[in-house]
Order: sequence, then structure tokens, then C-alpha cells
Amino acid sequence: MKNSIKVQRAKQNITQAQLAEMSMVSRQTINAMELGKYVPSTLLSLRLSNIFGVPVNELFILEEHDWQ
Amino acid sequence: MEITYLLPSKFKRIGWLLLIPSAILGFMTVAYEWEPVFFDVKVFAIMTDSFPLNFKWIGRLENNILDEILGILLIISCLMVAFSKEPEEDELIASLRLKALVWATYWNYGILLLAFILVYDISFFWVMIFNMYTILIFFIIKFNWSLRQLRKSIAYEE
Repeated sequence: MKNSIKVQRAKQNITQAQLAEMSMVSRQTINAMELGKYVPSTLLSLRLSNIFGVPVNELFILEEHDWQ
Repeated sequence: MEITYLLPSKFKRIGWLLLIPSAILGFMTVAYEWEPVFFDVKVFAIMTDSFPLNFKWIGRLENNILDEILGILLIISCLMVAFSKEPEEDELIASLRLKALVWATYWNYGILLLAFILVYDISFFWVMIFNMYTILIFFIIKFNWSLRQLRKSIAYEE
């Protein structure tokens, strides 16, 4: 699964630390998600979607191997 | 709110302060069969026996309680270190915690399985004694190692 968190963050000029505070998780979690090392829960995905004002499936994009 | 069954984060420090001395003293008590007379007291027992016979359900007996005290301290302090919230506790840390717990359980019982087929008599009894604590100790090592790696990865980003 890919995600566009970093792009959205850049667009809205939000730092990892700010996003962490807004979404009520640690900076490590934001960093791990951006690096594709951690797949967030539905709750966190919805929070991020709400913060950026974009639908969840624009923020997180399924890849071919996610169906295997 | 989700129930995590975790203790407040300040318990981790208290846990370490108890764990280190009780582990050192516990190890010395076992290694040197240290039983100061000060700890000889009459205790109440639900089950007791003088090996191999004389099993009794309810009874009172004379016992050196130093090993019991250290065993209790060691279990409580290990639980405090293992299951206190991290300052930045969130869902990523919860997933690390779960992975570390699975890892520790496999290693703990893997070693016990080996001991079942390779260790006998009183030596097996000693394996059982250590096995009471190893699941928590393996968990603490693995979880803290994972946390260290995680915190280091963020340090590189800065």
C-alpha cells in the first residue's frame, strides 16, 4: 500500500511533528507510515483524511501485491 | 476509550529500580543458597509436602522466605517494566509490543521444549525456576530493542 502523506504534508506545509500532534500519534508513527513501514488503523487513516481534507482512498492507495 | 491493560508510564522507572536489585539478589540467593536466619518464619500453606511423601492440603511450616520475597519482587518489577505505557504510546508502539510478546513466547517455549528433551532431574527443576521469569525477560529485551531501533530511525531523519 502506498500513501501520499508526505505529499499532502508538503502541500499544506505541515511538519511531521505538527501532523503527529494533530493526529494524536507520535512522530515515529508518521515517519514509519511515510516510509511505508507501518500501515495505520482505520481510526488513524480517517483522522489523517480529515486533517488533510482528502478522501481516505486518495491518501492510501492499494497496490497489486495487496491483493495477493 | 480502548482498554490497553497497560500501567501508567511512571511505573516503568519504578519497575527498573526494583528489578535490578531483586534480580542480582535473586541470582545470588540461588547461586550461593543464601538463607539468612532472619527470614526463617512460620508460614501458612494451601499445599505442602516433604518430598516424596507427606502431602498435606492445609498446613503451617517453617520456611526461609527470602526466595519468596525476591521471586515476588522480580515478577512484579518485570510486569511493571514490561507493561507500562511508553511516553509516546500509540498504535505503532502497540504493534511493536504485540510482535515482541509473540517473539518472547516462541523463544520461551522453544527453550522449554528443548529442555524437555535434553534436561533431566534436578537440572530440569532449575530450568523451570528460570522459565518462570524468562518470558517476561525475553519480552523486555525484544520490546526495548525494537523501541530503540524505532527511536534511532527517527533520529536519522532529523
